[in-house]
Amino acid sequence: MKKFSIFLFALAAAVAAIVYVPLQAAVRPPKLEYQRLVLPNGMVVILHQDKSTPIVHVEMWYHVGSKNEKPGRTGFAHFFEHMMFKGSRNVEPEQHTSIVASVGGQANAYTNEDTTVFWQTIPAQYLPLVLWMEADRMASLRIDEKTFVAEREVVKEERRMRIENPPYGLLNELIIANAFDVHPYKHPVIGSMNDLNAATIDDVRDFYQTYYVPENATLLVVGDFDVDTVTSLVNQYFARVPKAAKPVPRDIPQEPQHTKEKRVTLEQPWPLPAVVVTYHVPYNGHPDSYPMFVMSKTLSDGNTSRIYQKLVYQTGLALTAFGSSSFLEQPGIFSAVALVNPGKSPDEVEKALIAEFESLKTKGITERELQRAKNQFSRDYIVSRLSIKEKASQLGHAEVIQKDMASADGEYDTFMKVSLDDVKRVAQKYFVPEGRMVMRIMPRGGVEK
Amino acid sequence: MTKRAVITLGLLGALTGIVAAKQGLDRVRQEATYTKGEGAQSRVEWPRDNPPRPLPARPVTFPPYELRKLANGMQVVLVSQNEQPAVSVRMIVRAGAAHDPKGKHGLAMMAATLLDQGAGTRTAEQIAEEIDFIGGVLGTGAGTDLSFINAVVMKDSYEIALRLMADVVMRPTFAPEEIERQRNQALSALKVAADDPESVADRVIDRLIYGFHPYGMPGAGTAESLASLTRADFVDYHRRYFVPNNALMAVVGDIAPAEAMAGLEKYFGPWQAAEVPPLNVTEPPDATRRVVVIDKKGSVQTEIRVGHIAIPRKHNDFEAVDQAVKILGGEGANRLQQVLRSQKQLTYGASADLDTYKWAGAVIAETDTQTSNTAEALRVVVDEFTRLQRERVGDGELEGAQDYMVGHFPLTIEVPDQIATQVLNQLFYELPVEDLPRYRERVLKVTPEEIQRVARWFIRPSQLSIVLVGDADRFVGELKGVGFGSFERVPIERLDLLSADFLKR
Repeated sequence: MKKFSIFLFALAAAVAAIVYVPLQAAVRPPKLEYQRLVLPNGMVVILHQDKSTPIVHVEMWYHVGSKNEKPGRTGFAHFFEHMMFKGSRNVEPEQHTSIVASVGGQANAYTNEDTTVFWQTIPAQYLPLVLWMEADRMASLRIDEKTFVAEREVVKEERRMRIENPPYGLLNELIIANAFDVHPYKHPVIGSMNDLNAATIDDVRDFYQTYYVPENATLLVVGDFDVDTVTSLVNQYFARVPKAAKPVPRDIPQEPQHTKEKRVTLEQPWPLPAVVVTYHVPYNGHPDSYPMFVMSKTLSDGNTSRIYQKLVYQTGLALTAFGSSSFLEQPGIFSAVALVNPGKSPDEVEKALIAEFESLKTKGITERELQRAKNQFSRDYIVSRLSIKEKASQLGHAEVIQKDMASADGEYDTFMKVSLDDVKRVAQKYFVPEGRMVMRIMPRGGVEK
Repeated sequence: MTKRAVITLGLLGALTGIVAAKQGLDRVRQEATYTKGEGAQSRVEWPRDNPPRPLPARPVTFPPYELRKLANGMQVVLVSQNEQPAVSVRMIVRAGAAHDPKGKHGLAMMAATLLDQGAGTRTAEQIAEEIDFIGGVLGTGAGTDLSFINAVVMKDSYEIALRLMADVVMRPTFAPEEIERQRNQALSALKVAADDPESVADRVIDRLIYGFHPYGMPGAGTAESLASLTRADFVDYHRRYFVPNNALMAVVGDIAPAEAMAGLEKYFGPWQAAEVPPLNVTEPPDATRRVVVIDKKGSVQTEIRVGHIAIPRKHNDFEAVDQAVKILGGEGANRLQQVLRSQKQLTYGASADLDTYKWAGAVIAETDTQTSNTAEALRVVVDEFTRLQRERVGDGELEGAQDYMVGHFPLTIEVPDQIATQVLNQLFYELPVEDLPRYRERVLKVTPEEIQRVARWFIRPSQLSIVLVGDADRFVGELKGVGFGSFERVPIERLDLLSADFLKR
């Protein structure tokens, strides 16, 4: 009997939802079709056909990022990304990118906390060439002292350019260093100068043998191709890469539960003070990550968002203010940042930022805000599947980070089911004072009035 | 819920050594041996192998689009494609920072940000609420020659997008409190930009190259010019330039042309045409050698800019000049990246761009390097200008650059917005749209002789403008040794873009 009534209640709620929330029915995006193969050596292959333009996008995801780095070797995953362009058995150093360019294609790579991704977009007829080159560097990378030392200088310039020279370039680094105590997410992806200097050629070899192995790799081919041709090429070039000698290590130190609010005040030679508030949040794909994403939208997507309205538009407290949740493979942080306008006080700004999180706990969000967040999600979902590169990125994320290919599309429905109660419950669970870090970064030499 | 990548290798626009690559591809190795390569970290005896041959190619054609015009003169581009249920609506108005009256720098850019801060019967908050709620995006802004208003919405919200855009474009409120709010924001943003070496370097090189021509002026304004802007300035500017015969519109995505046009007629048909006052622009000054060092204490890198005046977009030699600059520092070639990064590890990235606007243009090379390498890097950049001017470009090198451009073409027509952008560009610069499908022929007709001919007259290594933003004390001593003993030095906190010697008084 009891079961029956719950069913009825659920049905009534569903009907009520249909009747009372006709505000805006989001346009349902088309399904992202794909095929998934696994080679005997463990490499995963994902194919998605899109014949609208005669081009193809190939992405190789290695499931290794800055969180896999050993202490004293921060920046290594990213540095290794550079080494992958230094030549292999059949491809001369620096030639990977030039060969791709010589046929009109583009090639590049990126590294983040969880993955290292190599990609190329090319005219469709050159698919065999690119697959062949990716296999070549997976199996036979050239690693020598001279290129290693030279490339390290390039990475140091990259660090100076991105992080050290521009105002606020160090901001993210300071946030994560203080928000985490233990988890390697506390280290910047690009690493520190000291650690880069300490890296040895043996580290490079060891990293290659450990992580650049078929069972740690996912190949995505998206665009204009014939399935039989691609399958046969993949078998020809990649099946011969042997399995690794040892399993890929997955022992990442985990962040302990925080028990006390952390407060930090620093100085930097920046023109305006910055105020940062962070909280710890669940990993991407955790059931609580969806309501968290709704709050991310409500707080900071568009001019209607609460943080923009309260800190920038209505009060002029901040030049710019934003907040967003990280969506990483392991638990990360929600961070809100505001640059304090001249004449305004960092105290006020801090109070205003924290008030926004508190309000989510006590009052939650409105029905309209929830619907808006869903509509914005729907838009992001659609406009992030326009190009073959974007499609590959979505598919790679589902396979490697979410470990669930069905999430590439299923996530849409999960998201549409988030309720007002979910949002409030998740806010109360995560936006707790003991999990909070509050940081102020004041201009060196004082604030101009 | 995808986390954006944080670090990229940054080789885009820096694709070096194509010639060697081509030779590598063309060389047919006779045997496939199975020995371990020197230094190779093979986990297996990996075969010596030739690159595979390409598959048969499918023909590439410029995708279909339609050109229309409303009775009031508004030009329209339609690109219909229904892969995703979204529609993008983009408008360009032919007025930008170059149209700022004297002393009113920042007017066009601030006017653009004010467009959606209250329009028609709606307040700024109501506009934001309406567009955000439907999951749409509305953006406005201004560049050097133009202003833009863009919206992206789901296909069932096309009319909402048009209704909002019509208000924003035709009936902005310019409410006094919004002007104050945006003025404060613009002033704070100036403050941050004034401390950012990259932004400072870009603004100073423009002023050096274009002088007091509108393209040399600070489009984001100065503290004084922003303070002087009144509501009447915004209203006048808008009345003068925001008319349909001065506007281009593109509707792109999941919508049939008839429906797209019906919407445009309904919302933009009533917009009244009016005569647009011509902009009287003088010629920018001739290239003159001048070196300006902007001193920013504590910088770990120096931002380097080197360049001089070149050609406007609509110019008979555009193709050849464009390819010459690509060889110097563009996608598919890039000598600068080859020398500065690959050979000398002096930088993470180096490039040269041909900026071509309506009335003028410039070639500007840029890179950054750690402070102690400033002089060396500067010398390399200048030497590459000299080499381009003096030496004939090799057949293989040009072929490499052209192969990239031609092969790359299908990548530039993948999504409907890219298609619309190409058509809008042709219309904006009054170039023939018939050229779009002829891209391949236009690229390939340029010969090494052509490149040499244009490089001789437009590259002038002895008349380069040079900007160095960094910790001056730590590098100026070495400038003389690389041939730049005479330079002006400006402390970053005293920089004034409107003063002849860049010094605030």
